[in-house]
Amino acid sequence: MSIALDQITKHYGGVPIVNDVSLDIGDGEFFVLLGPSGSGKSTLLRAIAGLIGVDHGRIALHGRDVTHVAARKRGVGLVFQNYALFHHMTVADNIEFALRVRHVRARERRERRGELLRLVSLEGMDDRLPSQLSGGQQQRVAVARALAHKPEVLLLDEPFGALDAKIREELRRTIREVQRELGITTVLVTHDQEEAFAMADRIGIMNLGRLLEIGAPHDLYSRPATRFVATFLGAANLFLARSSADGIHVGAATLAAGEQPPDPREHEVVAVVRPEEVAVAATDAELGPGYLAHGVVDELVFNGALERLRVRLENGAAAPLLAGANGAAATCLEVTRTQHEQRAFEVRVGQSVAIGVRRAHVLPTPLSSFAACAASVAAAEALARQPLLAELATRMKTRIAVRCEPQLGLAGPRGDAAFVGATVISSEAGAAQRSAWLLGHGAREVLVLPAPAAVPQRVLIHWLDEAARAATLAVSASVLRHVTAEAVYVGILPEETRAARRPYGLRSLLDARSEAQSLHGLEMRTELRFGDVAQELTRRLAEAPGQMLIVGVGELARFAERFGTLLDGGRWPVLLVHRATS
Amino acid sequence: MATALRAAAAGAAPPADSARPGHNTWASAVVRWLFIGVSLAFLAALLIAPVATVFAMALARGFEVYLTSFADPDTLAAIRLTLVNAAVVVPVNTVFGLAAAWAIAKFEFRGKSVLITLIDLPLAISPVIAGMVFVLLFGLHGWFGAWLRDHDMSVIFAFPGIMLATMFVTFPYVARELIPLMQQLGNDEEEAAITLGAGGWMTFFRVTLPRIRWGLLYGLILCNARAMGEFGAVSVVSGHIRGLTNTMPLHIQILYDEYNFVGAFAVASLLTLLAGLTLVVKTLVERTGYHGR
Amino acid sequence: MSLRKPSVLPGFGLTLGFTTFFLSAIVLLPLAALVLAAASMHWSEFLAVVSSPRALGSYRLSFGASALAATINVVFGFVLAWTLVRYEFPGRKLVDALIDLPFALPTAVSGIALTTVFAQHGWIGRYLEPLGIKVAYTWLGVTLALTLISMPFAVRALQPALLEVQRDLEDAAETLGASRFYAFRRIILPTVLPALLTGFTLAFARAVGEYGSVIFIAGNLPMKTEITPLLIVIHLEQFDYRGAAALGVVMLLMSFVVLFTINLLQAWGRRRHVQAAR
Repeated sequence: MSIALDQITKHYGGVPIVNDVSLDIGDGEFFVLLGPSGSGKSTLLRAIAGLIGVDHGRIALHGRDVTHVAARKRGVGLVFQNYALFHHMTVADNIEFALRVRHVRARERRERRGELLRLVSLEGMDDRLPSQLSGGQQQRVAVARALAHKPEVLLLDEPFGALDAKIREELRRTIREVQRELGITTVLVTHDQEEAFAMADRIGIMNLGRLLEIGAPHDLYSRPATRFVATFLGAANLFLARSSADGIHVGAATLAAGEQPPDPREHEVVAVVRPEEVAVAATDAELGPGYLAHGVVDELVFNGALERLRVRLENGAAAPLLAGANGAAATCLEVTRTQHEQRAFEVRVGQSVAIGVRRAHVLPTPLSSFAACAASVAAAEALARQPLLAELATRMKTRIAVRCEPQLGLAGPRGDAAFVGATVISSEAGAAQRSAWLLGHGAREVLVLPAPAAVPQRVLIHWLDEAARAATLAVSASVLRHVTAEAVYVGILPEETRAARRPYGLRSLLDARSEAQSLHGLEMRTELRFGDVAQELTRRLAEAPGQMLIVGVGELARFAERFGTLLDGGRWPVLLVHRATS
Repeated sequence: MATALRAAAAGAAPPADSARPGHNTWASAVVRWLFIGVSLAFLAALLIAPVATVFAMALARGFEVYLTSFADPDTLAAIRLTLVNAAVVVPVNTVFGLAAAWAIAKFEFRGKSVLITLIDLPLAISPVIAGMVFVLLFGLHGWFGAWLRDHDMSVIFAFPGIMLATMFVTFPYVARELIPLMQQLGNDEEEAAITLGAGGWMTFFRVTLPRIRWGLLYGLILCNARAMGEFGAVSVVSGHIRGLTNTMPLHIQILYDEYNFVGAFAVASLLTLLAGLTLVVKTLVERTGYHGR
Repeated sequence: MSLRKPSVLPGFGLTLGFTTFFLSAIVLLPLAALVLAAASMHWSEFLAVVSSPRALGSYRLSFGASALAATINVVFGFVLAWTLVRYEFPGRKLVDALIDLPFALPTAVSGIALTTVFAQHGWIGRYLEPLGIKVAYTWLGVTLALTLISMPFAVRALQPALLEVQRDLEDAAETLGASRFYAFRRIILPTVLPALLTGFTLAFARAVGEYGSVIFIAGNLPMKTEITPLLIVIHLEQFDYRGAAALGVVMLLMSFVVLFTINLLQAWGRRRHVQAAR
């Protein structure tokens, strides 16, 4: 491994800017860190360079632990967005700077400089001052300067940000060529997905300080695992769909399940439909089983190779569209069509068309949507407007349904429809009773919300039964991708078994941690406590504000009784994940 | 020259280097405290000690003696003259500053940079020369000396001379503050006002003046501080006539030379308080987000 | 060719006319009087005045002490500016405001206060006395007074330049293997060099012309502690207007040289910073 990051965390003023990032980059690999501004990618790059110390975690370069090694001894080359050339020095002096520092003899310095200038195609510019060069040339000098001391790792911090599109393209090619020729391990930070696609062997996508997904450009585009990656990397229409044994149902359309073996039990999922996977035709018959709905062409933009349509779904379309691509309203579907498709079927604005889906990708996310549930419609609607819930739904690009259950928490039966998504109830008195009722009537995730609640900064994770472990970890990972919070797994053992079972307790903590890491890319801290589970969790939650609890539940016996103190009138959000023992 | 007046007085300092790996934090701390220590010691010896001395000396023989030293009619006359002088000079230079800034910032014309340099000129000239030029013009043996004597008028060793000398040395202060500010603000809003039918004066009072008020205040207080405190130029033209042509700084010299230290430092304490007030106003103006050039 | 570019804004004639008139009346005409007064002297007479031993002695003190004061201010000014720009410490804002005190404090006040502090029995003078260091009434006192009054010029010239030194430059130097001291010497110092020199020149210019604070602390002995502005005043008090004018012209020329130097330095600094901002 050329670069190995292990659980890197960096806080500024208590806010995690880089949150538990682990990453291995191979020798000679061109790795791109992609993310929106403020996602922590530049901070991570500077941590690798040694310009920023990390609060937690380890950094190794070529097997050498450099976590506490100064930047100047790390053997990295760093290229800055604004070039950071030394303006009082000539191009030659800039490039030779690192060699001068190392007391390399003048003749060798000159040779190396010549080599580097050839490499970046700036021969003969030795005696110019940076001010006499164009932006693109300055950045070439910066690249040459960063390579002078033969670093083992080249780091590029948004190196094309300040350049024109055409020069950018040229420089991209140069850097890629230089990188191939030298075989140097390279990390590039950018917010431009096109740039990432053009240059990367692998891409790592960051958001809110977390490294969400890593993969080859094509894999990440066609099989994203998270909503964020699906929508950030290219355009995506997100649907709430149903998955069952015979495939995926997006409204009226039925599609083959694709690469994942379907869960035989019918359940709600989030499906990604890329704009180029949407078919447009005159009649539904032409679309076959992929027919979704009818719609009206709202907007038509021709941009050369492709045509972009925005199609408004007609009222009564059975498929709930969560978000249109490129920020379109949740009633508009984004479609792109090639010249070929345009010739086959021409459309105009205002025209009514049949819409079909060719291919949908199901996100493996366990939290598809929210349903605010109360005994009366008014109470449920009020709950649906709760700020934290609204914030979570916005961040997860999903919707909040309203559901009235008159018998909620009482002895009576539930309404006709099965519970889908996470059911949300308020934490007023009787919350434990209501949760137990919901879990007992088939709800798989129940979110208990206090009236005022902030977006959590720490998420505590615990499961009561091994049966719920996998699901709890998956749900936790999904929640943590959307909030800037640290994850803490709280292991709790009965008080009286303290001495004898301690080794077992520790082992289970480590197991939980490594499972979260390997399956979900979720880094957790761990804590071990002794005592009654509900009491310990309540005590832990009361320690600091801004905490949320996720609890996995298997056995429902005596649930309401045991968790009354925790849930009834609790000041913290609690997400219950129920998976019955099989 | 006046760029030195640029109060860099920058915003907050960036946070201290947050523990970079491999940096000797102990050595950094030593360097840091060394720098801060040297800075404070330098300022303490050069600024704090003298200012403290002013008050220590003024109050050396008690508060009563301090107060009675202001009862001296000559001292009162010096204070009055200083105030009157500033009351004339500051408004005149303000009007000049506004006019110069309007002409230079709003229009493009040939010779503009020469004009700017000439406006700056008094800052580069010794105050003694500033006083001397008026002696050469209006003194007894000066160009207009004979004419003035014939008409029984006096400029030198009289109030007009003091006023002219003060005007010379404080000449650039308001203009230097306003020119770059108005250049930076641009003409768009004024042009919009004119095209909407506003007249020139209305545009100035309703559009320009509100936007430059902090810069104007800034220049005004600097101009005032210099006007009240000027020594060299005024000393040359005043003639040091007690009770008549002595401004406060000149009166300090006379009292000091007579070994009337309490009296000298009492007057000095007033000017020191004025300087303190100037700094406070300046800091407050900078708080509004207006930074001197 | 028209005198100005057309503009819809009114008041050009009025404001420019007033500006030019007032400038001429208050500044240019009086200065012309000075030059003409000196020009009316015979060449040899002029030379005799400006190169008399007493005049030469005063130049030596004025220019020497000013250069020394400016040097002190560049060194301590750098330390001060660095401290203010880079470090956070209690009272930083107060210290920053205090830098301007010499602007606001009348020179006569600084003069008598400094003299008192550094006199034989003064707060600081009493500790220097046993060491054999006399400050008040010597050239050392002159230097001290000039240091005080020209201090803000050096600090305020350096402060913005240090603020503008991009942290990226230091970071770049560090990733290339430079130690902090090396980066300081090879990157930061050269970058702020124009500002450093500008600060020196500004402080020097202010110091050379200073009168008020110096006459209290100098002792004013001819040839020893007599500065050029004082010599001018002495000529004036003896109604030797031409002699005063001659010395005045020498100082005026000095001012022009300094002004010119500052403009050159600032142009140099701007040239180097243009691309940094790009």
